[in-house]
Amino acid sequence: MAADVYKKKGDVPNGSLVPKDGQQSERSESPTPGLTQGTEPGAGQEGAIFVHTKSYEDLTSTDNPESAPKSPDEREEPQRDEIKMEEISKDFSELSTQLTGIALDLEEEIRQNNEGKLELSPQASRRDSVLSGKEEEDITMEAWRMHQKHIFVLSEAGKPVYSRYGCEEALSSTMGVMMALVSFVEAEKNAIRSIHADGYKVVFVRKSPLVLVAVAQTRQSEQEIAQELLYIYYQIVSLLTLTQLNHIFQQKQNYDLRRLLAGSERITDNLVDLMARDPSFLMGAARCLPMAAGVRDVVSACLQQAKAKSLVFAILLSKNQLVSLVRKKDQFLHPIDLHLLFNLISSSSSFREGEAWTPICLPKFNSNGFFHAHISYLEPNIDLCLLLISTDREDFFTVSHCKQRFQERLKKRGVHHALLEALRTPFYSVSQVGIPDLRHFIYKSKSSGLFTSPEIEAPYITEEEKERLLELYQYLHSRAHNSSHPLNNIYYTGSNENLLAWVTSAFELYVCFSPLGTKAAAVSAVNKLMKWIRKEEDRLFILTPQTY
Amino acid sequence: MSGQRVDAKVVMLGKEYVGKTSLVERYVHNRFLVGPYQNTIGAAFVAKVMPVGGRTVTLGIWDTAGSERYEAMSRIYYRGAKAAIVCYDLTDRSSFQRAKFWVNELQNFEENCRIYLCGTKSDLLEEDRRRREIDFHDVQDYADEIKAELFETSSKTGQNVDELFQKVAEDYVQFTAFDLTEEKGVDLNQKSTTYFYSCCHH
Repeated sequence: MAADVYKKKGDVPNGSLVPKDGQQSERSESPTPGLTQGTEPGAGQEGAIFVHTKSYEDLTSTDNPESAPKSPDEREEPQRDEIKMEEISKDFSELSTQLTGIALDLEEEIRQNNEGKLELSPQASRRDSVLSGKEEEDITMEAWRMHQKHIFVLSEAGKPVYSRYGCEEALSSTMGVMMALVSFVEAEKNAIRSIHADGYKVVFVRKSPLVLVAVAQTRQSEQEIAQELLYIYYQIVSLLTLTQLNHIFQQKQNYDLRRLLAGSERITDNLVDLMARDPSFLMGAARCLPMAAGVRDVVSACLQQAKAKSLVFAILLSKNQLVSLVRKKDQFLHPIDLHLLFNLISSSSSFREGEAWTPICLPKFNSNGFFHAHISYLEPNIDLCLLLISTDREDFFTVSHCKQRFQERLKKRGVHHALLEALRTPFYSVSQVGIPDLRHFIYKSKSSGLFTSPEIEAPYITEEEKERLLELYQYLHSRAHNSSHPLNNIYYTGSNENLLAWVTSAFELYVCFSPLGTKAAAVSAVNKLMKWIRKEEDRLFILTPQTY
Repeated sequence: MSGQRVDAKVVMLGKEYVGKTSLVERYVHNRFLVGPYQNTIGAAFVAKVMPVGGRTVTLGIWDTAGSERYEAMSRIYYRGAKAAIVCYDLTDRSSFQRAKFWVNELQNFEENCRIYLCGTKSDLLEEDRRRREIDFHDVQDYADEIKAELFETSSKTGQNVDELFQKVAEDYVQFTAFDLTEEKGVDLNQKSTTYFYSCCHH
């Protein structure tokens, strides 16, 4: 297949993604801020797994060139930016006058629309909600308005494609207004990015032929919300391919895309929920299941040996954590694509029966073609899923045979039980580090694209508390990666906890301490923590990834 | 390679939510899962060995997704199939229209594939006769016309499910298998041990 492959440049030796100039063969004992990329704890020893993404901004840069950090020479033109800002703020003030008018109309329309909705046969609407697997909400209710984050996807004709809450049909006039806003600003050769009002952020992402809108009350930055919208866009592309998506709307501008997406609402719902819970998305990295390096290496070798010509990636995962990943030489997976695969698997129990064989597009790899994924669980009632990604849709039995060979080898080489044993403790406790005031941390190695994080423990017991902690990390992350004022070190003091963020060219570290600690204690604790991560790195990371 | 161990390819077709996965689930695992509806993604493959008149036949069953999204892909799942179980929901008229669509597809592209029409969710009719939207005799006439077999099943109670797959396997033996005994495809001396995937162990 003619895949748009992320190929390494020829001048980088040994299949390593590490930039040539930053390469050092020695791994330093105690990491320092000057630590070069490729030598930090968790950096792969024999090449990386992923497309090289230096930082968060890299993930969005191709899609959002304007929001990417400016290179030094670009910074020399601040004036032009200022003018742009002035124009935009002028546009906004004009827009806000328009908005008040629209808002009144909108309420009226919604009311009418709701009355119209009653005429639908109750059976028909019930069947729709059965198919999408969610209870539809009444959008005129206060509860609907109170949701922390609304997500809307619409076509350029203003037709609803997806709504996180409430039935899309009832929202068609709301979405029409959203499209009108986008077009109104575009008519002036400009683009609407966000509206900030009354504690809400309304964020727009335009990815032709779709428009994605979030209405959020969370503390996330506009950039982070836009990133989440991009993920949803990629999720839709992964089901259809961009070629098909474009083709459909070229044929018929007002096509109702929900027909083709029927049954996928659950996957998108799950993605939105997962992004609020799982730091993988924020970090743009993958977490590994902690396990003894010896066992992991044998598992990886078994997986590598069970190869087939059409296999591009083999991924073994448990609870959204990587156990092993084998890739074809010179082919790299993008973290976004891996996250979409994780989400697909965690959102459906249907893969637990038999072996699934499904077309899937990995939009960051190649948004125009389908791969074919063989998805199966290795053992009943154990969360260990094997994903074999092939380029050939006719190759089901060959790929299925690879799975059998992998399982036979695991047993033959005696790691089957050790693997199952490792699955019994999928998370480690922060107490293992031995720092009293330390509550939680996230450490990401930039060169490997992998991160590690302990289980979130007391006092973050409820789901709300866990999400609040992640929100704090999101806040620090957005401050650290702010495109106009990036920060390397942040110490945040709150009433319930203190946090520290440390971002270097080699790693990112976010640490949560009890509120009683001091800044000096936090800094010395961070050094101790980094030593611990270095000591444990072969258990917490995949240091020796395999290729076909 | 391992494909040779499957004797007959069987494909499940039909509109989403008619209960194709439940039918396979009842037949292979003899269970009915209660819970929120989960649509199939792509297709799921499962093999089951069954005895037919003193020998065994391995059915390789492709449970396809009903969503329109996968329609363009569906040919890879039914190509070369010996049998197609075309399902419709007895309580949903539109699902029968969709079944007719699949019958046409098969007649055009897979002449040698035997068609089994299957009306699902018959237990719902036990509860309330008025819920039936597809008349049995109308479908019987249609089945005769297209030379298909007709079954009405309930995956919830198990009614007629084994009978359906038994018929599929018997027809395979009667119409196809003996033509191939000389060929490599079917090996009568093949061990009758299971060709189950790990997930099928009980």
